[in-house]
Amino acid sequence: MNSAALAVDAEGVVKSFGAVRAVDGITIRVAPGEVYGVLGPNGAGKTTFLRMLFGLIRPDEGTLRVFGRSWDDDGTRVLEGVAGFVEAPRFYPYLTGRQNLVALARLDGGVRPGLIEEVLDTVDLADRADRKVDGYSYGMRQRLGVAAALLREPRLLVLDEPANGLDPAGIRDMRALVKRLADSGLTVLLSSHNMDEVEEICDNVTIMDRGAVAFHGSIADLRAMAPDPGHLLDTTDNAKTLEIAARHQVKTEADESGALHVVGPHDAVSGFVADVVAAQVRLKQFTPTQTPLEALFFMLTNTEAVAR
Amino acid sequence: MSATTAPARGTTPRVRTARAGFSATLGFELRKLRAQWRTRAVLLGALLLPIPVAFAIHAQGNPPKDSLFGRYATTNGFALALLVLGYAGQWVMPLLTAIVAGDIFASEDHHGTWKTILTRSVSRGSFFGAKTVAAMGFAILVLLILSASTIVTSVLVAGHGDLIGLSGQLIPASQAWHLVAMSWLTAIPPTLAFTGLAILLGIWSRSAAVGIAAPVVIGFVLQLVGSMGSAEALRPYLPTSAYEAWHGFLASPSFHGPFVTGLIASAVWAAITLGLSWTLLRRRDITGG
Repeated sequence: MNSAALAVDAEGVVKSFGAVRAVDGITIRVAPGEVYGVLGPNGAGKTTFLRMLFGLIRPDEGTLRVFGRSWDDDGTRVLEGVAGFVEAPRFYPYLTGRQNLVALARLDGGVRPGLIEEVLDTVDLADRADRKVDGYSYGMRQRLGVAAALLREPRLLVLDEPANGLDPAGIRDMRALVKRLADSGLTVLLSSHNMDEVEEICDNVTIMDRGAVAFHGSIADLRAMAPDPGHLLDTTDNAKTLEIAARHQVKTEADESGALHVVGPHDAVSGFVADVVAAQVRLKQFTPTQTPLEALFFMLTNTEAVAR
Repeated sequence: MSATTAPARGTTPRVRTARAGFSATLGFELRKLRAQWRTRAVLLGALLLPIPVAFAIHAQGNPPKDSLFGRYATTNGFALALLVLGYAGQWVMPLLTAIVAGDIFASEDHHGTWKTILTRSVSRGSFFGAKTVAAMGFAILVLLILSASTIVTSVLVAGHGDLIGLSGQLIPASQAWHLVAMSWLTAIPPTLAFTGLAILLGIWSRSAAVGIAAPVVIGFVLQLVGSMGSAEALRPYLPTSAYEAWHGFLASPSFHGPFVTGLIASAVWAAITLGLSWTLLRRRDITGG
């Protein structure tokens, strides 16, 4: 696919801040209609990449084209058909949500009648649109950020950790919204540090670590590379449980509390647990420690899982 | 969350290609200014504050004879308006313009909204131009309100008899109206120079506090420099000196040299400060705001 046909075509992009190489020669290509995830731990360079995409900062090296346009050749025309936000979306606190959108619509050269109401309805802010943004919760600001992006009726929607800082209900709603937008045919570039989120929403993913690409491919490819899932198992008779484990293709290891860490293919773990139960051993705890993709993410980015 | 605005999969989304022109960007800035209590407070202050000031000066038993036109300030409204102009040029006008100009760029840093506005197909140049025009327009508006309010209040409080000029000549009231108004209008160029300075300091520091307070402090320092004998050659080229350019209008014969020099000096100050401001803004990496 040639550069003009791609929604995003970044090649060998480098950006340094002083001695720190925030983005180190990354190449990312996003095709139209794709839902693409950029995944990485904090400080991986995801936000720096998105800032370059929006022209807030310029790359030191490499080329970056959006729908075939570059900042050097086309200036702000790069952003035609592009919308989104970088980090937490910010608004004027002394204006209401609606006034912020009206003001921003003015910068977009005006919007079609009814669109502001439509986007407010889409993000479920219609009934709170006339409150000053100063009184908005974090989640409401995130949703207003999505509304402000949709106001541009984009072809490419760029969202930087849209569920960051939200409570569980807010995360669920935000993911549902992003999925719905993605399903509607928009090209979505989603930055996240949450593997579950990317797995749930995206078709393809680039995993970044310390400014460089650690993995690039489809979610299916990523799943194929993933290690076996891990579980924490505690029973009324862990010694007997260990004996049963020896008959299955699972690895077990006792931790300091005596509970067992069980790692193995899904079917093997299921069979093992069924045998434990059949042997009249009662389960006190059986919880996944991390999903296979999470485990892979931590391996690829050389980071440790935070204890649940 | 309810129905999406995006088109169904398989259809071609309508792509917005419209971009805001300068007037739309200026409208965006003016809309924000109108919504801020600070802007309204400054305009209201410029309208109302001359009233108690005029009454306070008029009520003094001993007029401030050491100040220009102070001797007649309690008996002549034109003299009172000119006395207030003399004081206002020292720090009030730099402060009034800096309240908006020192904040108009820095507030984007404070609210973190640079990234909000710069991701909407509007160039930094458009924002720089619109914000500068908005700040300068506000400076002129507040000066016009302040001058009109001061002149009308002074005349109502202290009368509109003939004015004694700086050379002792008698200026008929019909002519005094015109000269006093012209004198107030000469404050526009130096005020715009201070607007440029406030914009520069706001962009450089990214702090509204610095953008607002520093021009006033710099104004005092420039007055101090202007009053030093060793800096006599420099004095005509300081924006603070341009605030005194009206003196020539009220002498006999009148002279306009200081006004022209002040006009040019103010334009140069504004051009330099705005040029530096644009250089700083154009090169800035938007990483925080």
